Amino acid sequence: MMSDGETYRVRMTGISKRYGPIQTLDDVSLNLKPGEVLGLVGDNGAGKSTLSKVLSGAVIPDSGTIEIDGKGVSFSSPADARAARVEMVYQDLSLCDTVDVAGNLFLGREPRSHVLGIPFLDNKRMHDETREMLDRLGIVIADTRLKVENLSGGQRQSIAIGRAASFDPSVLIMDEPTAALAVAEVEAVLDLIRAVSARGVSVILITHRLQDLFLVCDRIQVMYEGRNVAERKIGDTSIEEVVNLIVGRKFVARSARASRDEAAQP
Amino acid sequence: MNVTSSPGNIGASPPKRAHNSTWKDVAIANGSVVSIALFFIVVCVVFSLITNSFLTTPNLLNIVRQSAPLLIVAAAMTFVITAGGIDLSVGSVLALTATLSAVLLQAGLPWPLVVIAMLALGAAVGALQGFFIAYERIPAFIVTLAGLSVIRGVALLITGGYSIPVEPTSFFVNIGRAWFLGVPVPALLALVVLIIAYLAFNQTPFGRYVTGIGANAEAVRRAGVDTRFMMLFVYILSGMASAVAGIILAARLGSGSSNAGQGFELDVIAAVVLGGTSLFGGRGTIIGTVLGALTVAVIGNGLILAHMSPFLTPIVTGTIILVAIWLNFRLFKGATRSR
Repeated sequence: MMSDGETYRVRMTGISKRYGPIQTLDDVSLNLKPGEVLGLVGDNGAGKSTLSKVLSGAVIPDSGTIEIDGKGVSFSSPADARAARVEMVYQDLSLCDTVDVAGNLFLGREPRSHVLGIPFLDNKRMHDETREMLDRLGIVIADTRLKVENLSGGQRQSIAIGRAASFDPSVLIMDEPTAALAVAEVEAVLDLIRAVSARGVSVILITHRLQDLFLVCDRIQVMYEGRNVAERKIGDTSIEEVVNLIVGRKFVARSARASRDEAAQP
Repeated sequence: MNVTSSPGNIGASPPKRAHNSTWKDVAIANGSVVSIALFFIVVCVVFSLITNSFLTTPNLLNIVRQSAPLLIVAAAMTFVITAGGIDLSVGSVLALTATLSAVLLQAGLPWPLVVIAMLALGAAVGALQGFFIAYERIPAFIVTLAGLSVIRGVALLITGGYSIPVEPTSFFVNIGRAWFLGVPVPALLALVVLIIAYLAFNQTPFGRYVTGIGANAEAVRRAGVDTRFMMLFVYILSGMASAVAGIILAARLGSGSSNAGQGFELDVIAAVVLGGTSLFGGRGTIIGTVLGALTVAVIGNGLILAHMSPFLTPIVTGTIILVAIWLNFRLFKGATRSR
């Protein structure tokens, strides 16, 4: 792990995004070092998903700058972010139900063979490589020609994760990657996060399973109503503190008042 | 492709859950194609039995000659509908290109130039409609409904409602009337278009993205594909296919009529839907479309040969559409997990 604070893999500064009257992101910053695992947490609607979509090019911010490895970038589409090796596992998985497993894994970067200059799908290579990828990730799917709609929720989620992790990313964003998974499968995803970060891949993990954060993250960033409210090294915080930061001041104030009242009782 | 560790089993399920496919599984997985193939065979057998002339080479060639415009436009429409769109303007584009090609030939333009101009016109009309659909996000139904009206109106305005004759000595009429190697030229043109459509649909990234856009357009966009251009492009295809159909029709009939192709768009959509392409997008097959179009054509032809009223054609076609889709829903359901 790099402890040097100078080189950042990702540096997002002053990101704002407004949808109609809703200020979804308000001057948000996010920094990420190579190989670092950052837990991004916050209540529903805090702006975690929007912030990660800004980094993956799926949402274009109204203002703010993004630097990757020190170079300023401006993503106008997901293709730009992919070219900068930013990969994302979307919360809704982003799979095409009527396309087969291999087609979904390779969506947007299908191996091609050219005949008379016309691009054709190289189906054999695509299915062979899909088989290798699935085996390497330990994903059990009998047939790479199965349509994704025929798979279980866990298998679908595995494909979404496998797709993002398998094409040599430098930044991997995972938005609720474990939502549909059984216990053993969650463990496998956490192992995967450790494995890729050990290789130097920077990971942003968005999850509501706070215990997972403490298993894999180096740092936690808390968002509240579209703003950054706190940042903690994982060793300096506890689940209780993170919960309080997530639910925000109101909750803290009420519980504080309760304890003050108790203290005032005698 | 650098993941080197093997972190347990993600998405693990007991092995050997999937058994080798039997013919029955294959049939269920391709239920829509199987059910239209059954209908096609049944219709052919029935007409072979009740008429003497149906199952003869000249009649079968006549069917493919006459259904060439339908086959060509239905192939393009399969892309449009699979991508989650619809193109109601194909009949009007057919009429416009049929009349304009007659007008331009009368004005003395050489026929190859006329053909190229009509293909460009079809592409331009498709691109304009595609622009409003893909970039301005107006529903395809509305854009092409407006197109249906406007384009037909332009054709009527040009001709004043009369049909424009094509000089029978012009080479142009060969496109619709000539035979080559014992096969009518329109049928050969349709065959070429269908082979290209089949390859493009099943073997190219473009075909993959068309299916993907119909299933989950946002997923395809996030995968870095220019989905808006893909959407625009399918309308260029349907516009050009309609132009080819208009040229063939004008050449075969020897005239360009602004009233040609009334209700053609519905025949095309019927053929595509009959072939198992989902109107909701994401599912389509070219083979199914070919069978659907041929079924529609065979019914029309067979009823006439059986000396039955040609007005029965729409009744029978409509009934078969409903029954075929119903069978597909009932008999072959369970092919996918409902979610």
